[in-house]
Amino acid sequence: MQDLLTQNNFALRYDIEKLQRSLRDAQVNIPEELKPYAKWVINECEKLHQGILQNIRYLGFGQKNLLKDILSNTQSIANAFYILNQDQASPILRARTSDRLVLRLLLWLHTMHHQTKDIPAAVGDGEFSIWAIHPSIYYTPCTAQRGLLNLPLFFHEFGHLLYRCHRPEMNALVNELQAEIRGLLPPAVVRDDKYTAAQERKREVVVEKWYAWAQEFFCDAVGFMMGGNSFAYAFSMYLRILGKPQYHLSIENLARSSHPVTWIRIHLLADRARRIGYEGVSTDLEETWSQVAATLGVVEDYYGFYDSKFLFVIQDKLDDMLTETSPREFQESEISNQEESTLTSPVALLNRAWQKFIEDPDGYREWEEDAIEHFLDVDLGTFLT
Amino acid sequence: MKPKELAVQSFHENQKLLSAVNAVSIHTKLEMAGHSDLNSAKTIAEAKDTLNTFFKELDVIVQRAEKAGTKPLLGVDARRRQFVRNFIDAKRNYRIQSPSLRGKLSDVVQMIHSDKDTDKQDILLVLEELRMLIEEHIAGDTEILLGGI
Repeated sequence: MQDLLTQNNFALRYDIEKLQRSLRDAQVNIPEELKPYAKWVINECEKLHQGILQNIRYLGFGQKNLLKDILSNTQSIANAFYILNQDQASPILRARTSDRLVLRLLLWLHTMHHQTKDIPAAVGDGEFSIWAIHPSIYYTPCTAQRGLLNLPLFFHEFGHLLYRCHRPEMNALVNELQAEIRGLLPPAVVRDDKYTAAQERKREVVVEKWYAWAQEFFCDAVGFMMGGNSFAYAFSMYLRILGKPQYHLSIENLARSSHPVTWIRIHLLADRARRIGYEGVSTDLEETWSQVAATLGVVEDYYGFYDSKFLFVIQDKLDDMLTETSPREFQESEISNQEESTLTSPVALLNRAWQKFIEDPDGYREWEEDAIEHFLDVDLGTFLT
Repeated sequence: MKPKELAVQSFHENQKLLSAVNAVSIHTKLEMAGHSDLNSAKTIAEAKDTLNTFFKELDVIVQRAEKAGTKPLLGVDARRRQFVRNFIDAKRNYRIQSPSLRGKLSDVVQMIHSDKDTDKQDILLVLEELRMLIEEHIAGDTEILLGGI
């Protein structure tokens, strides 16, 4: 065991040193906005390197009762290194100049909140998602990284990071929401037989499901609170043509789903927009989704996982969650029709992009190229208010 | 959250916990053999703090889960619920044998800081059995994050 562990630790040391060299070479040419993230990854690599050297020194004690501990340490470093090598180093090794657009938005996003201002962020290629840890990676499809229209979806992903930063308080609020939803579910018929037990079990599946769903609804609410109409349009446009599962899931798939059916999310978003006076976007969302659903022949049915009578308690609890996490709220001036010369923040830019796209989808591309160029030239400090 | 996003968070937290378990375990064994540890006193104090916080949280959540029985544990994410279920099962089927882990978890907190030799023996068993559960849990995360070859 001693020899085997020595061998593995030497092999790991060799691999870590190789990655360290690659990172050092790559960091010379990465965008400025990625440097805090690169610094973290390089430090982390060095910690793993030190961990390996320490294992080798522990092996030098020749103390047999340490072997289980050293094995565990070696496995732990190996797993951390494989993940670093496979996922976390990639934003540095694949860095491109075009990453600057997303990186600047992320840098601004993180800087605007006291809980996230010291968390470095990077961008990765993939479906929209986030590694909501320190440091964070925001994944996005390649083409979405080079335009403005899908960027508001990052506000949703940022919501996951806020949830994590405030997890004990947020979990307590979700606990309350789950209990309230349990209270709104129709009671199981008491017959003291298998049917009753199955009904009771279904109620518990619904209640349990609402832990994951609540977080997604919260992130949508963060998206709208931060991005305003731009988030609502980006969210709706991206998801509405992804097929029937966005509108309807079987009861079995609902029980397995990590996300609520998107149509429910649209109802909640539309309701939230309407409540704060944005009737136009609210109606637009509901009408477009109803139109596609009708074409697909979908009849709304969530098999008890959601009911419109839940709406009040959900929105009420989401309001509490927003108060707890206090994301930056969009300002009216950022989403009203403004000229390029008065764009005061990334939120204003993204809302302007959506206005331009809706007004003239064909001429949008040329406007977007100029707008991105301007955004990349502006000192981010001017947006930090 | 998507399964991978959830696995990342779970992995990240459990790696920190596992490092703390290993650091305290190695430190205790070296101390008992009369060797000095390579880790600084600060590192060991931080590792003990991590374990303290973990046991305090686990104590509350396990009590809630045992009271809830088959009903879902509210306000707890899927990976943490899984860990708690595995912990309770391991107690029931005697995969966990340490009297301290089987008893009141709040007592373990005091034991971590004890200098008594008997407590040190007990804490080594606690750490070994806890490590078994954490490693099993991390394996679930790495399966999602790293896949197989």
